[in-house]
Amino acid sequence: MPLLDIKNLTLEIPHEGKLIKALDKVSLTVREGEIRALVGESGSGKSIIVTVISGATPPNWRVTADRMTWNGEDLLNISAERRRTIMNREIAVVFQNPLTALDPSVKIGAQIKESIPNELVVGKYFWQRAARRKKTTISTLHKVGIKDHLGVMNSYPHEISTGIGQRIMLAMALVAQPKIIIADDPTRGMETKTKTQILKLLTKLNVTRSVAVLFVSHDLLAIASMANSMTVLYCGQTVESGKMKNLKKRPLHPYTKALIDSAPSFRSDLSHKTLLPALSGSIPALQNVPIGCRLGPRCPRAQRECVNVPSPRRIHEHTYSCHFPLHREKR
Amino acid sequence: MMAVIIRYLLLFVITLSVLICFSLALAHMFPGDPLTNLSGVTTENAKVIEHLANKWAIDTNPIHYFMNYCSLLLQGDWGISTISGNQLAADMARVIPATIELSIYSAFIAICIGVPLGCIAGIKAYTKIDYSINAASIIQYSTPVFWSGLAFILIFCFQLKLFPLSGRISVLFNIPHQTGFVLIDIFLAENIDRKAAFMNCLHHMVLPSLAVGLVSAAALARLVRRSVIDVLNKPYISAARSRGLPFKTIFFNHVLRNSLLPVLPLAAIQITTLITNAMIIEVLFSWPGVGNFLLQAIYQQDYSALRIGMLVVSTLVISLTIFADLLNRIIDPKKGSVSDVSI
Repeated sequence: MPLLDIKNLTLEIPHEGKLIKALDKVSLTVREGEIRALVGESGSGKSIIVTVISGATPPNWRVTADRMTWNGEDLLNISAERRRTIMNREIAVVFQNPLTALDPSVKIGAQIKESIPNELVVGKYFWQRAARRKKTTISTLHKVGIKDHLGVMNSYPHEISTGIGQRIMLAMALVAQPKIIIADDPTRGMETKTKTQILKLLTKLNVTRSVAVLFVSHDLLAIASMANSMTVLYCGQTVESGKMKNLKKRPLHPYTKALIDSAPSFRSDLSHKTLLPALSGSIPALQNVPIGCRLGPRCPRAQRECVNVPSPRRIHEHTYSCHFPLHREKR
Repeated sequence: MMAVIIRYLLLFVITLSVLICFSLALAHMFPGDPLTNLSGVTTENAKVIEHLANKWAIDTNPIHYFMNYCSLLLQGDWGISTISGNQLAADMARVIPATIELSIYSAFIAICIGVPLGCIAGIKAYTKIDYSINAASIIQYSTPVFWSGLAFILIFCFQLKLFPLSGRISVLFNIPHQTGFVLIDIFLAENIDRKAAFMNCLHHMVLPSLAVGLVSAAALARLVRRSVIDVLNKPYISAARSRGLPFKTIFFNHVLRNSLLPVLPLAAIQITTLITNAMIIEVLFSWPGVGNFLLQAIYQQDYSALRIGMLVVSTLVISLTIFADLLNRIIDPKKGSVSDVSI
């Protein structure tokens, strides 16, 4: 059974009296111990999915789904208290910008200690529990690669760098011993060295503790080596989903192909000084999305049928939504 | 931190010298003889006048005149009241604590009412609870303090007969003047029923403190509400929510502190309003404070008392403002630079 199972998730946001479909029938599954990449360009709704999963949606957003379950529990129809417990114990979210996701007026040590669920703190008296919390905090900081634990614990968020901050966010996610870490673009704006360290850290956690990871990013290069499977999102629609190696080798959807082609390292046959292929145009704003397949206007293979939303088709583990997929010409 | 404190001290000294200059100018701007306005002594005796002119250095060059005035102020020789003939320093020592006392009670009430109400309104933003708190605070804030004071007297003293009309404590209690703060003096006094005196004193101070405190509470509630709404929309609050922390923890550990930090300097500006209101209310409730004292001085054209009263009140306001700013600097971890020290 998949850990997180989302089927046909639709999110409507009211805007100037109309409802805008920010997410249109998105499907996403994360299995236990898997690293799943969620890829798409900026504005494709990746972060919105994270918000919906974490349950921090504003009250006027309308979330509907055929299925949105966590370990068999329906996330859309459980009590707020139970949802809170799940978020506290089983799902951990690492946000994009660590420096705004940390309280500026509280020392980092205290913030990490606060994230440790009470059930994980043993000790009869409060000083024993406090010592326990401190011990857990220090060991977790070591695990995420921070050696100067005292210095970090005693600083305020504005005194640390983004790289350290992202490690701290990871440490805060880890202290609850979650089953899944949802990392919302944790490497944004980082230089390659720090980025590699963070990615290695996530991979290591996945291997040693079998934590599932949902890695949300637009950086294909960074995740291609670590993810097992990938879901590609375009403008609030799931485009293609499947095993990483299949998607890389034989993408069926034109958008996935464009995405992979635009990353030069995946191409061996690129001759000297050729222009990198890229889709023309840019992702449409949510206020005026095209009908049918939202890639339509930008798609090189688009035909008349594309004004209808393609239904997802499935070949083994590989799902795609396209009327005219690559490699599978109609006869 | 040391540099910050020194900078504040310098600022304090400079502002104070400007005020002293102004108070000296007042003595010349008031009608009558500047020497009489400075010393408070009215006399025709040439010898006495010569002695006073010597003492206040009134005919020397302006710098020497000013320095001499400063040194007299520092020595506590502030001249005497033209009307009563009392030493002004002693008069001030009597009335200033009463005003400070009233301001403290009012500030206490303002914080105890304003902050919780503001938090509730902020958490329940844009609901009926929020709107009613908001409306109440606007009504309270726009009511002139002397009018609400009079209304309090009319309703609670005359009609309901719940609270005494005037004064700090019943005249039946003989409390010797020691610190000037009547609640402390009660515990220092001998041979009285301390508990009865204490209750009587509390009973007396309810109405005046409420009248002053509610105005500031209304202002504070609005500031806190805005700030709480702002903080609740911050990413670190959604992050804390997504971490599954209970709302109580989120509120007390993250929202409260972060929303009160920006409110503190704004509340410090309210101190001035608070003291001004306290001085007005003193007159209504015959509270023996500096407001009452100054009003009497105006009626009796006691210019030396007015000069000193103005100086003392403004010194009080400056010290409190600087103190609040310093406190804010100590609490807020983000403020560290020396360069933006200001009043």
